Formats: sequence, C-alpha cells, structure tokens
Amino acid sequence: MTLPRPVHAAKLQHHVFYVTDLERSKEFYMRLFGLQFSALNHPDSSAAMRLSQQEMHFFSFGFHHHDLCLVKHHKLTMDNGSMLHFSLVIRGPETFDAIRSRAQDIGCQLREGRMLASAKQEARAFCLQDPDRHWIEIIEEKQP
Amino acid sequence: MTVAPIPPNVLPPFKQRFGGLLRRKWFREMVLLWPTLTRQRFSNKTEDYGVFQPSLVSHIGQLSIYVRDIARSRDWYEQVAGMIHSRTCDWEPHPYKEQWKIRCCYMSASGHDECLVLVEQLDPEGNRVGSSGMSFFHFALELEGNRLEDVLAFAENQRANRNRLNYGPVRHNSEPPLGDGETGGNVACYMYDPDWHSVEFCGAMDTVENYRARYGDTKGSAHS
Repeated sequence: MTLPRPVHAAKLQHHVFYVTDLERSKEFYMRLFGLQFSALNHPDSSAAMRLSQQEMHFFSFGFHHHDLCLVKHHKLTMDNGSMLHFSLVIRGPETFDAIRSRAQDIGCQLREGRMLASAKQEARAFCLQDPDRHWIEIIEEKQP
Repeated sequence: MTVAPIPPNVLPPFKQRFGGLLRRKWFREMVLLWPTLTRQRFSNKTEDYGVFQPSLVSHIGQLSIYVRDIARSRDWYEQVAGMIHSRTCDWEPHPYKEQWKIRCCYMSASGHDECLVLVEQLDPEGNRVGSSGMSFFHFALELEGNRLEDVLAFAENQRANRNRLNYGPVRHNSEPPLGDGETGGNVACYMYDPDWHSVEFCGAMDTVENYRARYGDTKGSAHS
C-alpha cells in the first residue's frame, strides 16, 4: 500500500485565544483594528461548544471567514502561560500610524520595536497588551 | 525528556471519542436538547454574520508559544506539519518577565517565513518552565493546496504514520457528510503537539466572495 502524498503547512492562518470578557475584548479588537465580527458559536446552539463548555466569537480581516477568534471557557480560567505574543501585520504606513494613534487614545501603553530581541527587524513595529494582557505585536507590512 | 503535564482544557480520550459523532445531526440535536426545549437555542444562535470590507490588518505575522523542549517540538512541527526550521537563537532576556530568559526557535511554513516561534523559558532560578495550555484554544495552519482533498490527504497521511488526530477531519458547517454544525466552512483536523497545544490543519475556509455568492449583503439571522 502506498502512503498518501505528504501535505505540508503553507501558512499560519488563524488564531483562537482565550479571553475573560468577550464583550470587552470584542470592543477592543473592533475599535483598534477595525475587525469585523463574522460569526458566533454559542454553547446553546453549537453541540461542539456545548461539549467543550466554550463560546467563540469570530473576527475577520476582510477576506477569510475568520482570522482571529476570541473564546471564553465557561468553566476554566485563562492565563498568559502558554503564549508569549502574536503579531498582526498592518496594511501600509498610514494605517500603521492610525492604529498607533488609536491605541494611545484608548490608553494602551506602547512598547516600541519588536517583541523578541532575536526577531528579524521589520520596517516599523510596536507592541501593546489587550484587556487580558495578551501581548500583540503590530508590524507595518513591507511595501513591494 | 520530561512529559508535559496535561492542561485542564484538553479533552480526555473518552470525550474525544464523541468528536466523530458531531458529524451526525441526530447527535448534535441530542446534545442541544435542553437549550432547544428551553428555547435558549433560538436567542443564542450559532451563525455567520458575513464580512463586507477590508480591515486595517493584513494577516497574522507570527505566533510565539512556550514549549518545554525545543528539540522535541521542532521535530514534531517538521515531521507532522512539514514546517522548516529557520534558526534557533541563543538565550536572550524575556521581553517582559524580569530576570527570566528565553531561547527562540523560528519555524517557517512553505509560504510564511518564521510564522511560528517555539520558546523555551527559564525562571530566575534557572528552572525550565513549560506551557500552562490556557492562553489559547488552538492556532491554525493552512495546508498547501488549501482544498478539501488536501486536508483529507493530510489526515490520511497522519493516520498512516500513526499520528493521532484528536478531532476531524470535519467541515465547519452543517452539510453532510463532514459538517459538524459549526461555522467557517473550513475543512479541518486537529492534533496536539508535544506540549498539548492544539493545532488545527485546515483548508477551504469560506471567504467574503463565497459568502456574498450565497447570501448577498445579508447579515446575520436573515439567512439562517
């Protein structure tokens, strides 16, 4: 019997992380990044969510159904002990500056530069924390 | 090599066996019997809302996750996910934990440079600290080809290599035979890495174009 052809990962596509307050985090991500709320999986109407005791809110960057998902576990407490950070790549210098300005307006403490000292240097980057103290790195997309 | 403790959000093998049944409508209806009877099901609907314009974000650039043993994790992501090792760096200060140190192993996918960072960390006493498992539910790697057949081939390959899938392959919609009643339309299977991080391998996710083709500019419950 021959093995099926190997299929490899092509890219990091979406990330689903825990939050303590879905509405607070939803407001934060929509206001700061202009994300669109694209779907809801609720434990009262999703069997998988009911079995895993979770509720999931999906957000899109504007092309895929979802790119970031916020999930609330209704029985367990989240922490910051399994992820150091994640990065969001921003479209163009004006948008990068707009997000920096929005972040300052809503009282985020900004940390300049990349999160990891060993990371490749990008055009511009800064970091901030979301309401659950998840670290987010904001990177300006390289121009072609 | 130490075995990573199992985080509390990892479903025990007994419960994981029910995963396959989520593709059966009768099973989903049975699980949802109580919220159906109390009518909570209809006020807390699982549904799509559609996306209609670009946001300010282009894509997710990088994710860094804590691992107990870089060598073991690197081997897993190379063998199972087909990722490519870019570089492993020397110890550096933890960016926000004073007196802690980290070592970073940068992994690339075929179309995404250094998208995943495997991070070992040492506390101020020099003790290796693993992952709690409670910061994220899972992250998803899109497979080459990005089609239903590619995810099915990936799953078949893992089974042939005796690598255990903890869920799937399923399609996150309600269409038989793979639909599990969720949203997104993506075909997916899930595996735990050596630190019990849940990794989704996916393809064929719904996009703004096929949402519009099905529902036009309708948002929310009008189409459900």
